[in-house]
Amino acid sequence: MLSALLVLLGFFAGLLGAMTGIGGGVLLSPILALHFGIPIREAIGTSLVAVITTSAASSSVHLQRHTTDIRLGMTLELATSLGAAVTAFLVGYFNRNALEGIFAGFLLYSSVTILLRGGKIKDAEEPTVNEDGETVIPPYEPQRYPLGLGASLFAGGLSGLLGIGGGPIKVPVMYLFMNVPLMVATATSNFMIGVTAAASAVVYYRRGDILVGLAAPLAVGVFLGSLLGARLAPRIHTKYVVYLLVAIMLYLAGHLFVHLLTGKSA
Amino acid sequence: MSQLREPAFDRVVALVLRVGAFGCFFIMLAGLLMGLFVHTHIPGDIERAGVLLMLATPVVRVLVAGVLFLREKDWKYGAISFGVLAILLLGAVFGIGEH
Repeated sequence: MLSALLVLLGFFAGLLGAMTGIGGGVLLSPILALHFGIPIREAIGTSLVAVITTSAASSSVHLQRHTTDIRLGMTLELATSLGAAVTAFLVGYFNRNALEGIFAGFLLYSSVTILLRGGKIKDAEEPTVNEDGETVIPPYEPQRYPLGLGASLFAGGLSGLLGIGGGPIKVPVMYLFMNVPLMVATATSNFMIGVTAAASAVVYYRRGDILVGLAAPLAVGVFLGSLLGARLAPRIHTKYVVYLLVAIMLYLAGHLFVHLLTGKSA
Repeated sequence: MSQLREPAFDRVVALVLRVGAFGCFFIMLAGLLMGLFVHTHIPGDIERAGVLLMLATPVVRVLVAGVLFLREKDWKYGAISFGVLAILLLGAVFGIGEH
């Protein structure tokens, strides 16, 4: 039965996403498009609901550890939500093939980047803890706001176009260029994803591109999967999970290209 | 200016997100389970309510943070929050009915 299958799909996407730190949303849209016969635009809109669910659940955990910079996040959200709303609007005029091509390109690019880094996605930075068990964050002052806002506009645009979180763009920009500690950059990026995804999701919804009957079981599965994944992550070697994720991403990219060239599923 | 140590602020915003995520999860789950036994439009309507509340959660989060900033007399970040809120609402208004 379809709903049960979607709960399962969401569960594994959420599990992989939470264990590797790469949002599971990037897997959901191509799988919905290629294996469930959902047009790519509706697939993207539908998986946005799962992306918002994951972000809300995981950033509430980061907030309780006080590692999120709400001021920085809110400032950059001006740019991410603007970018996301604009591209979500423009997607209505894109043809399906262009969207599938961009998605395949993005999957390929992400896979190659992860492989070049030797399968390391998550930060190696261990949080320092003081005697009260609180996380200690070195004092910092965010720098280069124009650059951060520009990168956020781009990340938001990509998010509205493909229904993804855009963490792989925001985290390095905050960490490398804005002088923000990696732990804070990761938590803050996660915090921003919900609002960014919501900015495009409302546009997709009004256009009828969120299929509620599919979005609900997916979100339920993703929620459960990411709860479990977050608990498992510290206990297992995530490196192999990352390679599994890369293998799935490469398969989906190849499948999308074949789909584009032949006009039918491989 | 960056201030990370504002436990009360963090807690309120975290609460909004947690209530949204858990609440919507249970609403959508209820709709799904009901759909196994009830064959009317009701389970679908419940699922739609869950999805819409999920979309509304980040919007409420921005609104709550904005109000908290204003209460702290932090006008700059209050204004930024309401700017984000305006973008979110404009997106909802302008996406109307294009099929």
